[in-house]
Parts: sequence; structure tokens; C-alpha cells
Amino acid sequence: MKVDVTELKPKKAILKIEDTEPYFVNSIRRIMLSELPKLAVDDVTIYDNTSALFDEIIAHRLGLVPIPTDLDLLVPRDECVCKGKGCPNCTVRYTLSKEGEGPDKKVVVYSGDLQPAEKSWAITEDKIPIVELYKEQRLILEIEAVLGCGKDHAKWQPVQAPGYRFIPTIEIDKERIDEVKEFINELPEGLVKLKGDKLEINDIKNMSVLESYIDKANADFITIKRDSSKIIFSFETDGSLKTEDALKKSAKILEEKYAEFGKLLKKIK
Amino acid sequence: MALERKDRNHIGDVVIIPVRCFTCGKVISEVYEEYKKRHTEYKTAIDSGEKPKEIPKKILDDLGVDRYCCRRMIISHVDLVGEAAPYE
Repeated sequence: MKVDVTELKPKKAILKIEDTEPYFVNSIRRIMLSELPKLAVDDVTIYDNTSALFDEIIAHRLGLVPIPTDLDLLVPRDECVCKGKGCPNCTVRYTLSKEGEGPDKKVVVYSGDLQPAEKSWAITEDKIPIVELYKEQRLILEIEAVLGCGKDHAKWQPVQAPGYRFIPTIEIDKERIDEVKEFINELPEGLVKLKGDKLEINDIKNMSVLESYIDKANADFITIKRDSSKIIFSFETDGSLKTEDALKKSAKILEEKYAEFGKLLKKIK
Repeated sequence: MALERKDRNHIGDVVIIPVRCFTCGKVISEVYEEYKKRHTEYKTAIDSGEKPKEIPKKILDDLGVDRYCCRRMIISHVDLVGEAAPYE
């Protein structure tokens, strides 16, 4: 297996994986969706809410706010030594208190207004509007965030839009190069480029555009081949985990699953 | 009927921009305010017959909203918290 990093930003990653099988990349993808843990608001205590939105809507919005998670410092609540009571090992607490400032002014409550019990848990995605306050409206609440995973609720899903595609190769019929040139003139500008007798696509994301044009024109002088051992894997995170950490942790979870399966097999023998 | 529809947006319930995209889960609410600001600039330019500095397509691209599922969240949203504000 060979892995090339095409793009690795804190919130977006594209990897090129060669000499692999689709099932492998798919298992990583599915671990990311359903078993990778992250922090999300689970318990909201509302002391005062005179805003235009219902308590439930505010609680729901708070649940969707990504909270920066350090997986080395936290354990899931049901595995914690406190036996589900909630302690600093498994729970992160925030408080929020904001009030409207008179009749002509709009006060927006942002996710950044959540005050963490400890500075290190401060929310990085601090521009998410929770509710708008007018006149004398008030919002005072306390929240608890715990670890969870995507199979329990979508708010605990740290990775967005993970997906993979096979790397396509475009082959053209060299004897019918004139037809190919004519076909290319019909395409949107900047979609493909012709290099000698090789046709190349500028952005692999636009492959389906090219394919629909080929279908429409019945262009049998161009064939697209896909090799399932060469895969482009891309995913995004919501900011609670870095892409690098998310990928490493997913691989670790998958490894642990195989190890457990191996152990069970030994028992059968 | 008109009154009935006034306090509801395209999903029929919420009056403030949803935190995340319904389809993919990307956080989109944090760019909405800037989009709204830049879209108003575009709108005023169009209304006064001038050539706008940027079109909505460019604003969305610029804000990193790539997929069409996230783009519709922003484009189709009607901000009505102000209208619902008198009611507690």
C-alpha cells in the first residue's frame, strides 16, 4: 500500500491510496462516520429563557456546535470511574449568560459566548449564532458535553462527507484523433486538456461532467477506465478534531476491532 | 395564508439559520452573516443599475461553501428571528 497526501488541512483532507482494495478504504470511512468519538453537548440546564426560540430548539442548536476534543484527556462517561455521575474525566462544562440591550439593539448569542469551566476547552468555532435577543430578553443556561459516537446521534459525528473514488484513466482512439479534437471543442472551457495523443482532465471532481458529455455525444473513441486499487479518499471535519487525528484514531479503532476478532477466533480453536 | 407563512421559512419551522447543513453536516451558520452582508452589497448594486463587485456564486465559493447541499442552506434561508422576537 502506498499513501500520498494531496491535501491535509486541519478541516479538510484528500489522500491518494494505491495498491489497496475498496473494502479497506470503505471500512475506514464507516469507522469515521459511526465509531469515531467526539465531544458534544448532551445535557442542558436552562435557568432563564425569554428569547423567541423554544428551550428545545436552543438545546438542539447547542448540541450541533462542534467542541474541540482532545481524545487523550477524556473517556466516555459509561466507562468512567465516576460510574455515570459526571466528573472532569468524562465531562466538559460550559455556562452562558446574556441579555438584550434595549429596544433598538439586536444582541446575537454566539457559540463563543459559552464560558468553559477550564480555559483549554474554549470553543474554536465561535461564530455560530445560537439565538438573537431583543429588548429585555434573557438567556441563562449551563451545559455538559460528553464523548459519544456517530451511531448514537449525528451530533457526535466529527467527520463530514467522507468518500472515495477510483482514479480514472482516459484512453482515446489515436486513429480517430480528429473526432476527439472536434469533441473537445464542444466541452466547457478548462475541463480537459489534450497533450499530444493523451487526454487529461484538469480537476478529477469534474469527471462526471466529462462522462455525461461522452454519453450525450455517443463518443466511443474515448474510454474511461477505473482501477479499483487506486483510490482517492477525501473527508472533512467539523473542527472538533483535526483531520490528521481523526484519521489516526479511526485506523486505531479498526486495528482494535481486528485484534478483538483475532482473539475470539483463538477461543474457537 | 400570507400571515401563516410569514413566521416560517422553507423547512416550515425554524426562524434562524440552521447550525449545520441538513444533508452533509458541515457547519454553515458561521458564514451566513458575512454572506448576508455581501449579498446586500450585491443587491444594492443591482438595484441601482451598477455592475456588482461580486456575484453570489463568487461569495459562496469564497466562503468555502463548495457542495450544493450546503449552498442551498444559505441561498434558500429566510431570516425571520426578528419577526418572531416579540413573542416569548
